[in-house]
Amino acid sequence: MRRTMLYLPGNNPNMLLRGHLFGADGLILDLEDAVPRSEKSSARILVREVLKNRDFDWCEVTVRINGLDTELWRDDLAAVVPYGIHGVRVPKVETPQMLKDIDDALSSLESMASVPVGTTKVFCLLETALGIWNAYDIALASRRVTAIIPGGEDLAADLRTSRSKEGTELEWARRMMIVAARAAGVDALDTAFPRVGDEEGLRRETEFTKQLGFDGKSVIHPNQIPIVHEIYDPTEAEIESAKKIVQAARDAAARGLGAISVDGRMVDLPVARRAEYTLERAGIITGRGR
Amino acid sequence: MALNAVKRDIPSNIEGYGSTDGKLFGGAFARKPEGCRAGAAIRSRGPNDGGKFLGSIRDAIAASGLASGMTISFHHHLRNGDFIVNQVLDECAKAGIRDLTIFPTALFDVHRALIPHIQSGVIRRIMGSVNGPIGQLVSEGELAAPVVLRSHGGRPRAVISGDVRIDVAFIAAPTADIGGNMSGRAGKSACGSLGYAFTDAEYADCVVALTDNLQHYPIAPISIPGIYVDFVVQVGSIGDPDGIVSGTTRVTRDPLRLLIARHASKLIEASPFFQDGLSFQTGAGGIPLAVTAFMKEAMKRRHVRGGFGLGGITGYFVDLLKEGMLKKLMDVQSFDREAVESISSDPRHIEISADWYANPWNCGAAVNQLDVVILGATEVDMDFNANVNTESDGALLHGIGGHQDTAAGAKLTIIAQPLLRGRIPCVVDRVHTVTTPGEVIDAIVTEFGVTINPRRKNLIDACKEAKGKDAVHLVPLDELAERARRMSGPMAPVRQKDRVVGVVEWRDGTVIDVVRQIFPENISS
Amino acid sequence: MGLMEAGRAAQAGTVESMDCLVTISPDAERRRIEISGSGVSRFRATMEQKINQVLDKLGSSENIEISVQDNGAVDVVLGARVEAAYLRFKGVIDA
Repeated sequence: MRRTMLYLPGNNPNMLLRGHLFGADGLILDLEDAVPRSEKSSARILVREVLKNRDFDWCEVTVRINGLDTELWRDDLAAVVPYGIHGVRVPKVETPQMLKDIDDALSSLESMASVPVGTTKVFCLLETALGIWNAYDIALASRRVTAIIPGGEDLAADLRTSRSKEGTELEWARRMMIVAARAAGVDALDTAFPRVGDEEGLRRETEFTKQLGFDGKSVIHPNQIPIVHEIYDPTEAEIESAKKIVQAARDAAARGLGAISVDGRMVDLPVARRAEYTLERAGIITGRGR
Repeated sequence: MALNAVKRDIPSNIEGYGSTDGKLFGGAFARKPEGCRAGAAIRSRGPNDGGKFLGSIRDAIAASGLASGMTISFHHHLRNGDFIVNQVLDECAKAGIRDLTIFPTALFDVHRALIPHIQSGVIRRIMGSVNGPIGQLVSEGELAAPVVLRSHGGRPRAVISGDVRIDVAFIAAPTADIGGNMSGRAGKSACGSLGYAFTDAEYADCVVALTDNLQHYPIAPISIPGIYVDFVVQVGSIGDPDGIVSGTTRVTRDPLRLLIARHASKLIEASPFFQDGLSFQTGAGGIPLAVTAFMKEAMKRRHVRGGFGLGGITGYFVDLLKEGMLKKLMDVQSFDREAVESISSDPRHIEISADWYANPWNCGAAVNQLDVVILGATEVDMDFNANVNTESDGALLHGIGGHQDTAAGAKLTIIAQPLLRGRIPCVVDRVHTVTTPGEVIDAIVTEFGVTINPRRKNLIDACKEAKGKDAVHLVPLDELAERARRMSGPMAPVRQKDRVVGVVEWRDGTVIDVVRQIFPENISS
Repeated sequence: MGLMEAGRAAQAGTVESMDCLVTISPDAERRRIEISGSGVSRFRATMEQKINQVLDKLGSSENIEISVQDNGAVDVVLGARVEAAYLRFKGVIDA
């Protein structure tokens, strides 16, 4: 479940430590746009230490690394991959070749850190016209790709337009994302809504992109989470799937098994917890705190 | 030394306070009043005795007979805009008066100007809340006698029962007439309710009204009648309007506070008290105000109409009244312009005294009718005891306010607070100072969810009933404490000396805890 | 982005809530730790221990003064800030 993924500025201890409390399905510890040039190394160290601390409850934890056009991305990956993150969010992905580079770097880091190769998923930010055009090939370029996400401001600029209140300029790219994601079998996640105080605008945009088929939305402020969740309240199918996962996890626990598989999908602790959360939100089981 | 009912070691005699024999806290409702009320000196002013009007504070001090060693009182309705307390003490100093006990209902940052008078001995003792630089001074042992802290209800109880005798009450009045009738509703320094001043007016041996808006006799409406008032003084200005009332109080956008408020709101909604007639007090703090906003949504959604709102009143409560979500407001203190405007124009917005609000020794204070109160605390411990007085370094920096009274009176008392302020945990093994005993605290709400006092089994059951969107995230206290310990790391004990610098009275006048002197700031170990 | 010259005073962190500002500069005699701010009254020992642990792990043997202006940093944050300040002090990372 990726209804909301919350960006947390990588140099802000307050948000890095508290971000998981706000109920987002996922977190994006951001080393890219939220961190000024002069703080890149300092933020990388901070994010690494916060990851080591492993206090994120059920959230899916990802890190947005710096772009492949910078000298920073390899160090970013090296700092975070050994500490059990679910995935990396890669900015400005334009070609399948870029995925190969990421894939190789991740595999080598995973082997060194004794993390099973392939564990770290990739969330691709497609922030240029070329990236959007190649969306399907990018989504299939590595088994690690788990979601594709259209850009916002950067994409609008690359399209030689600007971001409007109605989002007209992004509409085609968004539709394209859905088609590519479904064809490739990955999630389509929407870009963030930039105006934090504009709750009505967020509501309108989320209703629209959910109807297009997006699985969820990136958010840049905790106050955006309840609004998006309200629109993405669990569907019957989600509830049924969650019931299966929770049941399987309970059976596995009773028989002393670790990770198990449900409908071909690996169920580890975070997945089981999110499933419980889905049922809790649907009122099927009672919440037992965080 | 003897242990009181919250297991605090209380010295049998406290220098500058007296014997604690028979005055150890014995339980929230253990001590009952005996005997008769105390009373002020009987004075009269007949038709041939001349007027009350005096031209200056200096003249009033002379006329009142104020002398060294006496006790003078003030109210805090002018908050951080107050000019009167500092001016009166300046004049006392000039007149050579020393060793005064000041008995304010609260002090604010603006009163740091009193520090020279403390250092020079004009002020010997403070009975009332201290904060900021004065609090630091007190904590480091600079006052001759310990500060005595009383709740908003405990203070009028102390006056009425004779624990404290007020020699002269100086009452700042935004509007007064030459007969001494007073009101806070009008004038350039309008503050709305004058609730904290009522008992002082009735029980002081001499009452001086100070106003910057002198009117013909009589004003209307009248809050405090001139029959209690000895002298009326006209001054240029009693306060700075910007410090007296705040602008419109807005609900916080801080996500952490909103998260805590949402948890608290769900608890209230799940509780048996969420029904027509619901009465509540939330004050003006960030989290409580946000709880009010969420409760309002819930009340609309579930078609519940509230009863009355109590305590310090904000524009937000005024809106609830106007929208019919509350039927009455009982106002001991008006926080902002909207509240001042409302109490002046809407008869459903009632001015009440501190006695009426919170005194445990009358025939039914308003707090006893409360369903829900949302409070804060610097610390809460494994017995649910709350500390609102001392900070993590042991410094005495906050008054009690209505904390004890509302906690004791309300059916559902909620402490809503982030688990960590920076690195400092709000849930600890043992609070440094007990302000309010755990027996009257029902729940702690943090960003991690709702922690209910195990004694409130019915409340726990009610929360477990709530499902789906209304589900309440319950977190046991030991889990919360363990989380705080893990995040904060090992905490060293507060370094303190033996000397008592503050006495915390429970609202019934018993000693619930003492505050001891700390080492000066920033001196390393 | 030039690297800082090694051996001169270096900083990391901020004075925002839950953060700390760590300044490392040469000291004439020994490793010296100065802490001020919100955590100091109750967490001085815990903080000193964390600072020493991080510097030892980084192999620091210089005589340096580590000055911490704290605004509620937990150990995770304090450790990260000390490491960044030290690596900047050594000219190993950007500043």
